[in-house]
Amino acid sequence: MTGQLLRRGILLIGPALLAGCEGRHNWLASAGAEAQRVEDLFWVLLIGAVLIWCLVIGAAVYAHRRQVDPSLETQARRFILWGGAVFPTVVVGALLVWGLVILRDITADEGDLTVRVDGERWWWRVIYETPEGEVVTANEIRLPVDRTAFFRLTADDVIHSFWVPALGGKMDMIPGRETTLALTPVATGNWGGLCAEYCGGAHALMRFDTIVMEQEAFDAWLTAQAAPAEVAEGDPGLEIFQAEGCGACHTIRGTEAQGPVGPDLTHLASREKLGAGLYDITPETMARWITNTHAMKPDIDMPPYPDLQGDRLDRLVAFLMSLD
Amino acid sequence: MRHGSDEQPRHFTAPGDAPRVIDQGSVWILVAAPSIWAAHFLLSYWLAAIWCAKSGPMASLVEPRWIIVALGLISAALITWLGWIAVRRYGGVFVIFEEITESSERGRDRFIGHVALLLCVLSVVAIGFTVIPGLVFATC
Repeated sequence: MTGQLLRRGILLIGPALLAGCEGRHNWLASAGAEAQRVEDLFWVLLIGAVLIWCLVIGAAVYAHRRQVDPSLETQARRFILWGGAVFPTVVVGALLVWGLVILRDITADEGDLTVRVDGERWWWRVIYETPEGEVVTANEIRLPVDRTAFFRLTADDVIHSFWVPALGGKMDMIPGRETTLALTPVATGNWGGLCAEYCGGAHALMRFDTIVMEQEAFDAWLTAQAAPAEVAEGDPGLEIFQAEGCGACHTIRGTEAQGPVGPDLTHLASREKLGAGLYDITPETMARWITNTHAMKPDIDMPPYPDLQGDRLDRLVAFLMSLD
Repeated sequence: MRHGSDEQPRHFTAPGDAPRVIDQGSVWILVAAPSIWAAHFLLSYWLAAIWCAKSGPMASLVEPRWIIVALGLISAALITWLGWIAVRRYGGVFVIFEEITESSERGRDRFIGHVALLLCVLSVVAIGFTVIPGLVFATC
């Protein structure tokens, strides 16, 4: 009866656990050069640990079943000395050297492009450093494939941690300090990023997309991001945006909205997700975000605007959806 | 199991007038080797931390690296000397083939010698593990 329950339990829970091995947050996805180095070490550790465990348990079972033979005492003690002291010391020493060499190799002080990321409660300010100047965006990082991106990481309020499991990392973001991290994506795709250090109420909702693209596509994207927003003269949506005070916190380059507090919205609709990696950007989610903000993401600084309804809401949403 | 040696004086006395540090009959030999390891670890850590704080990130670690290695060799030499004392004066052996249960001065000496020798080996290995990162990393 107990055995049957156990088997059923394993059948039920097993697939749920395996589901963690799939997907865009999988650190065994081999999507980054740095992650691949750690992955190699992981497999050797795992296979080695399983082999050693089998040997130890096998030896224990063998010893348990055998009759005690005092003449083998000396041999047994030698076996314990070599197998239990010398061998583990050599193995741990070798793993230490291997781990340190990996750490040295994946640490860099420059890259093919530099990206500053500032952790805020609970979103990400992203700034690309280009020869033409800074390109500011938020909650989405795009990288060219096979190029090393050098991240300069800071935090505005509390300690956060920057982690794109599929590419490598992670690295703490500490107020008052700058930490760095080099990532070299080797596979195109949309990889999940998240905050890996508890930072308050909406910590689990502090996410971002990391979209790895071919170099040409990335260059085109960065050029588009550097440009100001294309807003028609007298756009009624922009007027509502300003009248409701949104511009006090948000910047839309090319308009009078220059608020430095919240995420830059210049090319909001070009992003994949809304609310720091949470919802697809659609007119429906946008309208709900504006009117019922804290139901979509608790504790955030942005106040909800429940009184904004009807035509005014539609126009504001249409304006925000045009910021691509 | 004791071997009829309960008549031996229970109160342990060291040779000479008073217990001498790191000499026969002193338990200091047990803590000496791990203390050298701890001192080497702290000195290495302080040296690297102060060097990197003064030189800035990505500064060269080549000079402190060799100081850490030299400190490691000196520490290892000191511990080897302690191990030699553990063998010669305490009769310590690396592998014991029977339990040391004798309640006598000789029994205690052999036990201390054995434990001290094992701690010496452990400390040298640990110092090696402290030196390795210094050799692998060339920059702060």
